[in-house]
Amino acid sequence: MQNAKDSFYMTLRSRLTAINPQRTIMLRGAVRPGILVEEAEAAFSQPPADVFVLRWAGLVTDMELDTAMACTECEITYQTCGSQSFGGLDRGRMLSAMDQELVELLQPFHAPKMCYTATPPSQMLTQVFWDEPIFGPIAEQRDMLSRSARVIVYSYLEQEK
Amino acid sequence: MSTGWFSAPAPVTQRVRAFFAPVNRKLQAPVIFDPCKQGGFILDTPPAPWIDLGWIQNFSRSATSKIASVNSGVPAIVLEQVRESTEGNVNFEFLSWTKLTMALATGSQHMNLLSTAQTASASADGGQATTAISMLGGSTASSILLTPSDAAQFSAGSIIAVDTDYTGQTGFVGTPISGAYLRQPLTDIDYIRRVTFNVAIVSQVTQNGISLAEPLPGGTPTSNAKVQQVAGFVDRLGGYFCHEWSALFVMEGSQGERIFFHYPRLQSMADAEEAPIPLSGKGSSKRVVLKSQFRALPVVDPLDAERVLCYRSFLPATYALV
Repeated sequence: MQNAKDSFYMTLRSRLTAINPQRTIMLRGAVRPGILVEEAEAAFSQPPADVFVLRWAGLVTDMELDTAMACTECEITYQTCGSQSFGGLDRGRMLSAMDQELVELLQPFHAPKMCYTATPPSQMLTQVFWDEPIFGPIAEQRDMLSRSARVIVYSYLEQEK
Repeated sequence: MSTGWFSAPAPVTQRVRAFFAPVNRKLQAPVIFDPCKQGGFILDTPPAPWIDLGWIQNFSRSATSKIASVNSGVPAIVLEQVRESTEGNVNFEFLSWTKLTMALATGSQHMNLLSTAQTASASADGGQATTAISMLGGSTASSILLTPSDAAQFSAGSIIAVDTDYTGQTGFVGTPISGAYLRQPLTDIDYIRRVTFNVAIVSQVTQNGISLAEPLPGGTPTSNAKVQQVAGFVDRLGGYFCHEWSALFVMEGSQGERIFFHYPRLQSMADAEEAPIPLSGKGSSKRVVLKSQFRALPVVDPLDAERVLCYRSFLPATYALV
């Protein structure tokens, strides 16, 4: 299952680099694409703004199939205060831009499943795939607007390394 | 890449894509799809002459063939089975309204509403049309060459119909896609342009002519074809003409596998019908989709001379056990 989660994240990360290379984050001394997995970073009290944060949630398996399938729910949250140059008055527009980016990041709804335990990563036999996102309402906390989207990510449990 | 194989469960798909190609009615020649040669095509760019009609919904196909048993003895017991009839239907909904989807989803002629002359009397399906404009030599499916004064009659966004004058012929009319069948001659010189599928939207107007946003479905127009502006489309409840097309429906699985349903000959079996579908559970907005019902007609498979309505092909995922 970890390979599926890694593949989903790396797919979105590489797509973000192509769609909006300006969306970056300085993390642990390095500039990276503006998307991260919450469980793979140090705990933070407040999620960083203007980046996509992936949080893995529920898990369901279907063991009756010839090759068992795992369905994992991924919550993708993002928030923004707008830009300083506009005094935050563009926070609605910037959240809309992230909405649009996320829609583009998720298409097409599949990607090769890779094993990242070794370098270079190796391609596995199946593909990881997911449903269309279900967007939640905008949440407002002082000058911060945030939203989360839920995506069900599916993968077959082939023999993983 | 790791080596090995996996046992693939049933395909998981999200949507069905529809492609249609015109049957040559005069020659009774359908278009054949070769899944071996063409099965890997990119869905956005189907091989010629297939026309992409986009994603469809509520696709269902039903085989209404009858297989009866031959019984014998007392008490009777089944000896063997015989096929009494072979029949197949296809139902789905188009998610867009275009010339082609409207025509396919209706059971009779589908006409272009040619722009009418100022003096034309009112008509339900288009009255006397403005005079058609002759093309210049060298026009293509994407570029219609005109004199500067003729080109000035169009603007970006105009819809045009391109085809020849009607000269009294009977039978199937419209080339290469038949848009109607005439049992007796008419007097309307614009009739073929009323039923033609050679319609497109103008993307640019220049001194030399007009460029089209998409190529004409019929390809490069014949040298004697003329151009007329189109306001929209109309179909009628009534009439007797049945469109016939070759159809290809593609389901793409999550692992890259593909299922093809290839119907060499499909005819609409229902009159025009729409279905309003609410956009969300809250508002009153509804999307009006075109309901389509088709009956499959047979072709003779040259492989073994069997009569066939549909070919279902499956291209498995890479590394999936077969």
